Amino acid sequence: MSVAPDVCPPQVLARIADLELVARIVVEGLVSGLHRSPFHGYSAEFSQYRHYRQGDDLKHVDWKLVARTDRIYTKQYRETTNMPASIVLDSSASMSFPAAPSSRDDRPPSKFRYGVIAAAALAQLISAQGDAVGLLAGGRYIASRAGRPHLRGVLAALAGVQPGGSWSGAETVRRAAERLSGRGLLLVISDFYDDEDRMFEELRRAARRGHEVVLFQLLSREEIDLPYRQDLEFTDLETGRSLAVNAGLARRDYKDGMSAFLERWHSRAGSEGFQYSLVITDTPPALALRNFLLARGTS
Amino acid sequence: MWRHPLALLALVSVAAPILIHILVQRRAERFAFPTLRFIAPTRLAAIRRHLLEDAALLAVRIAILIVAIVALAGPLIVTAARRRAWNQQVVRAVVTDAAALVVAELAPPGTAPPVGAELAPPETISPGLRVHAEKAFDATTLTDGIRRGLTWLDTAPPGRRQLVIRSSFPIGSLTDSDIAAIPPGVGIVFERRGTLPLTRTVTVGTVLTAAGSRSQSVTLEGARTLVKDSSAAPNAEWPIEISSPPADRPALDAAVAAVRAERVWAPSADRRARLVIVDRADSMLPALPAAGAIQQPWMAEAIFRIARDPDLQAAAVNAAAGSNDPRLASAPWQTLAIAADGRPLILATASSAQLVVVSAAGAKELITPLLMRTVANAIAQPADLQQAEVTPIPERVLHAWSRDAGPAEPPRIDTIVDDDRRWFWLTALVLLAIETWMRRSRTSSAIQAEEHSRVA
Repeated sequence: MSVAPDVCPPQVLARIADLELVARIVVEGLVSGLHRSPFHGYSAEFSQYRHYRQGDDLKHVDWKLVARTDRIYTKQYRETTNMPASIVLDSSASMSFPAAPSSRDDRPPSKFRYGVIAAAALAQLISAQGDAVGLLAGGRYIASRAGRPHLRGVLAALAGVQPGGSWSGAETVRRAAERLSGRGLLLVISDFYDDEDRMFEELRRAARRGHEVVLFQLLSREEIDLPYRQDLEFTDLETGRSLAVNAGLARRDYKDGMSAFLERWHSRAGSEGFQYSLVITDTPPALALRNFLLARGTS
Repeated sequence: MWRHPLALLALVSVAAPILIHILVQRRAERFAFPTLRFIAPTRLAAIRRHLLEDAALLAVRIAILIVAIVALAGPLIVTAARRRAWNQQVVRAVVTDAAALVVAELAPPGTAPPVGAELAPPETISPGLRVHAEKAFDATTLTDGIRRGLTWLDTAPPGRRQLVIRSSFPIGSLTDSDIAAIPPGVGIVFERRGTLPLTRTVTVGTVLTAAGSRSQSVTLEGARTLVKDSSAAPNAEWPIEISSPPADRPALDAAVAAVRAERVWAPSADRRARLVIVDRADSMLPALPAAGAIQQPWMAEAIFRIARDPDLQAAAVNAAAGSNDPRLASAPWQTLAIAADGRPLILATASSAQLVVVSAAGAKELITPLLMRTVANAIAQPADLQQAEVTPIPERVLHAWSRDAGPAEPPRIDTIVDDDRRWFWLTALVLLAIETWMRRSRTSSAIQAEEHSRVA
């Protein structure tokens, strides 16, 4: 895979312990290719002109218009507020795949570590625009707030989360959507191996609340290709159930099932109006997020 | 038939691949994976199919081990064809009686129509057989030659075994006991070579008598034997020096006279003996000559003859007591006869140039002159009349002793040059190639079959 020279590969990022630094590196690589802010700025927005009334602040008088028309108009603005964002990170045991690589090999990081980096970068990006960002991961909830001290709290919470056990995606999304005040941005990072119908039901409910739903489906290359040939006793990371098969012989059916699964998520998310991105862990996080933001800009 | 049968103990190693297969097959590597939802359980059937295929692979691997171990053991498969081939070849030892041939060839010309010369050599092998291996043995006696020939045949390559005996076959050169010692499966062929003279005169030696020494000659003429005495030119000396108590001297002189009257052979001048008579009742033990190891062959031969003399041994058992002299109890003294009490009665050893014989029997006992006669005859070397025999073994006797070689017996494995191990090694290599092919193609063929089934 060719990587842009200003983009740091995931296996390098995974070795940096300082999550704030990682987030900065990702965001710097990310914004260098963008011409405008990916998230809409929320401040005073021009609405219309009206005749000057006594008592109006002179700074809102459009002097150029006065010069052209000899009439005094003042600009009228529509007030806007910041849009809060909440990042939901799947911390189930299935996200710990593949097993943590040693410091010497160049394998990509686990899905969870990749998800942490992506979440940190998103939080950094949102916070840098002055928006509020919150987190729900591994049973830890941080309400959405703006400001650098709050961002550091979010990053610290992210750094402390460990993957393990099962994860009720639908329940987590419901909790995050309910706690997100007003109309907000709900970013969900997961492999989405949960109950699809329940998950979509909760995502739809969040959308009805006025939240914008963004889905990052995070998978490893091995999960997509199943590149094994020998007899293996596969053990489910979440349930512990095992199944002995010849991986070479099982590959075709597996890939068919996986393709159908991904296609289903892509099409259902599109039909519901959610923004959906499939992210593979061998893609540099900055590149993945850049692609996501570019797609967001064109949508 | 195995060259190294102990190598078959390595067959226990066959258990190794079986154990490896069992352990490897039952332990698929555990692999933690995010979800099993896309892995079809039906793939287990493929694994079972693999197990069946691996059973074939296991069989091939076991076969490789077995074949290699069998090859190491050096097998020889005795097939009917191989046995037929062995039966069509003859291995033979040719024994030539060199002494008899020399005697026959040295026979004075004109004295003979040669006896037995009219006999043509018989066919040594039957038609259809071929000589595969042959070895010649020149021997001074046929008995010795036959023994050496049989020893070689025992280690010879497989085939019908045959003994070819070449000689002029004078009477006594071959006896029934010599023939009986030859195993029944060994064929015997006699080839008469050379001729025997009609008559031969041999000077046998010098005889000591009461009147002096006389030269004795023997003339062999067909079945007749003529013995002729004539006065010897130099008068031969009595060869035995006697040491005894002075009181025994008259009795011993009488014994010597009696022995000479009986006529004994006179040895050559370099063969002398010393007889020491020990008085058992005398508390003073006599001085003995310095004893040493027996190194000269004639002394050893003489001791052997004295010990085998039947008259002497019969008389010894009548002697009441033997010697209790501790000096005679150990080497180099050799006990030649034992008294009735179990102690040594007659002993012998060697001094510088003499055979020393010690007797514990009294000078007046009968065994003393018997001992003198035996010692005198033992140290002499009269001519062997067997070597001068002029009468051949009759043809009918040789014919009766002759026989064809029996079927080839399964040979000793160490006599086989080309055993069957190379075929087993070849088989092992072929099996190894099959095993490699099976191992490499197993997975790919299974995947291809899967592809085909999917396409179908």
